[in-house]
Amino acid sequence: MTGTWTLAKLIIRRERLVALLWILLLAVLAAGQYGRYAAQIPDIRAFAAEMAGNRALTAFAGEVHSATVAGMAVWKNADAIYTVLGLIMILTIVRHTRGEEESGRAELVGAGVVGRLAPLAAALAVTAASAVLAGLITAVAMIKAGADTTGSLAFGAAVTAAGLAFLGIGAVAAQLTRSARAAIGLAGLGLGLSYLLRFAADGSGVSALKWLSPQGWSHLARPYGDNDFAVLGISVAFCAAAIMLAVRLNSRRDLGAGLLPERPGPAGSVRLSSPLALAWRLHRGLLAGWTIGYTVAGLVFGALAASIGEVSRQGAAIEEFFRRYTGGPEATMTDAYLWLIVLSLGYVSALYPLLAVLRMRNEELSGRAELLLAGPVDRLRWAAGHLAIALLGSAAILTAAGLAMGLAVGQPGKVLAGALVQVPATWIMAGFGVAAFGLLPKAAAAISWAGFLFVNLFGEVLGPILGIDYWIAKFFVPYPNLPMVVSGEAFTVVPLVIMLAVTAALVAAGLGGLRRRALV
Amino acid sequence: MNTTTAIAVTGLHKSFGRAHALDGLNLTVNTGEVHGFLGPNGAGKSTTIRILLGLMRPDRGSAVLLGGDPWKDSTRLHRRLAYVPGDVNLWPALTGGEAIDLLGTLRGGLNEGRRRELVERFELDPRKKARAYSKGNRQKVALVAAFASNADLLILDEPTSGLDPLMEATFQRCVAEEKAQGRTILLSSHILSEVEALCDRVSIIRNGRTVEAGTLAELRHLTMTRIDVELAGPAPDLPWAHDLVADGTRLTFQVAGEDLGKAMERLAQAGIVGLTSRPPSLEDLFMRHYGSER
Repeated sequence: MTGTWTLAKLIIRRERLVALLWILLLAVLAAGQYGRYAAQIPDIRAFAAEMAGNRALTAFAGEVHSATVAGMAVWKNADAIYTVLGLIMILTIVRHTRGEEESGRAELVGAGVVGRLAPLAAALAVTAASAVLAGLITAVAMIKAGADTTGSLAFGAAVTAAGLAFLGIGAVAAQLTRSARAAIGLAGLGLGLSYLLRFAADGSGVSALKWLSPQGWSHLARPYGDNDFAVLGISVAFCAAAIMLAVRLNSRRDLGAGLLPERPGPAGSVRLSSPLALAWRLHRGLLAGWTIGYTVAGLVFGALAASIGEVSRQGAAIEEFFRRYTGGPEATMTDAYLWLIVLSLGYVSALYPLLAVLRMRNEELSGRAELLLAGPVDRLRWAAGHLAIALLGSAAILTAAGLAMGLAVGQPGKVLAGALVQVPATWIMAGFGVAAFGLLPKAAAAISWAGFLFVNLFGEVLGPILGIDYWIAKFFVPYPNLPMVVSGEAFTVVPLVIMLAVTAALVAAGLGGLRRRALV
Repeated sequence: MNTTTAIAVTGLHKSFGRAHALDGLNLTVNTGEVHGFLGPNGAGKSTTIRILLGLMRPDRGSAVLLGGDPWKDSTRLHRRLAYVPGDVNLWPALTGGEAIDLLGTLRGGLNEGRRRELVERFELDPRKKARAYSKGNRQKVALVAAFASNADLLILDEPTSGLDPLMEATFQRCVAEEKAQGRTILLSSHILSEVEALCDRVSIIRNGRTVEAGTLAELRHLTMTRIDVELAGPAPDLPWAHDLVADGTRLTFQVAGEDLGKAMERLAQAGIVGLTSRPPSLEDLFMRHYGSER
């Protein structure tokens, strides 16, 4: 373990700015929501009753544990906080373990006076400390906002516990695969599965499923309700077991090796004959992962539609809910639920084209693009291969989800149409990524992730916290402008055509920039 | 289009922020020659090559590659050139063989027989995944793809970094074969013996500027001969000697070509017992430009 502290300081040095940003974001999500409900909802008990009776919403957010301002604020955002924190934990731990090995930096470090387990120990310690800090700051922010102290501590502990559980999953995944990308994919699948289990538990009323999900354990702590700290022992024990497994795997393998030995491949290839063929080869793994994930999600979400039921439409909050997510008076609660689901799948799918476009930046930075572009490959033709996969891939992902969900619900045409109208909105994000890559390449990764978080958080969550009306979000976020064909609104082509035009303009700007700028 | 000039670069300027990478660089490579491109780290070799490849544009100056504009006509020109970077990074999930075929196919096809022969000569296992290759093996993948192509011009940017001496010898034989076939080669290198063995002409650059260019014979005239002499009597006065070290009757010094005759006369008068002279090597040339002034 010699050298652990030195390596930990190195990780802190590399992460401090990003870590500060995301910890503050999570704290603002929690405490800001408290401030908004405290100021805008006069009768929190009535509001809580309305929300608790709306199974479409409790499936997304979890059970209502406490009919207080703090309880409802946490009800609204806790699941998102647990999930986003889980993703951050996975990205961070993989970057500092498998990512370092893959880049060869671990070798450089390992040749120094550094114990065999020190790099892993340092990465685990710093990442775990950031999860503790996130929980602590969230709890303090809630207390400062005016929430009850014990409840806030329970909530902070639940946040930390969710972070630790996914830290464990990420740490094990990083030991199994040879590439950081594959490790993130594997752990991401775990995060998605855990999300689905918790969602299914609250959507179907089979609460037992919650015990199988790390997000579920944090929900079971019931912050501001029972404040059951003991449940979080499961998360901590799970994390400890995962870390022990990771350490064991780490000490049994060679540096840089995965679980499976490398097998020889073909001695040549005639199929890799164009930039598009190479792009397909590079992207197919990630695309397959997303398609499978979205298909499974579509089946689960679709199967849950039957248990959503109807709801009394009395009350301000429920009226607002139907105004937002349905397009006609005849739309049922189930229709609203289905639209909410396809819309959410649309929002999350925005990440795929951004990752696919960022792959180009990765190719450029690694010098692999240079190898191709020194041949008779035009830059635009090279970019077109990646872009085609970003666009067609996002369409394929949404189609797969729409088909699976439609079949599970028994209304294949309607649900598929709902999934397909998401495509132009997701394509705008592809265009956004291309514009960032072409015009501001150095900041492309930061801009893309910021764009994804903005689109996902601004309209429903951050906008209201900042006091910005929902309708204003429509100007900045494409998804609320889509025709709600699943829940009673007639199909209209106008917003889709506008989105395609915006996409084309962004792509043109990005490719124009790419054509003119110097490559790294 | 001038058919005898493969690369003509004049007055090239390029800055990155406040750092001037190129400051009026000139480079002329004749068709069919092997041209050595020498300079210390950070002298601007790779920047020049990136401009020639159309990956970046110069701030000022002109670059003509195979009669075309490297930026505007890049795709057309790239059909006729092959490039080997100094640090080859390959797609981790592709095997070496797949990477060779990919690079070759994109360039318009490989000479299959030559590919097989080169894979064997470089002792490359084409079935290994690129992530399992050492630096030298990654370098070999790019070299095989370049040598097996039908390109007129090879641009090699420190291509032998990471190769062992045996492979270095194989590389030198390959370059000689390419030259015999009439191809033009721009070889940027640090390995002076390699440049000396292979190159018809060299350009030496420093701080983004060309400081010497010409054939090795021409350049040798510019530098000094090292003389090691044992005299019979006391040492005479030698105003032309540089870096003179006297140890009794034994003298070591350097002298410029035009002063060599005068110096030898004085030494002959003093009585020469033994004498060795060493012609300037490329290393001396290099050290003269970079060693003392650094």
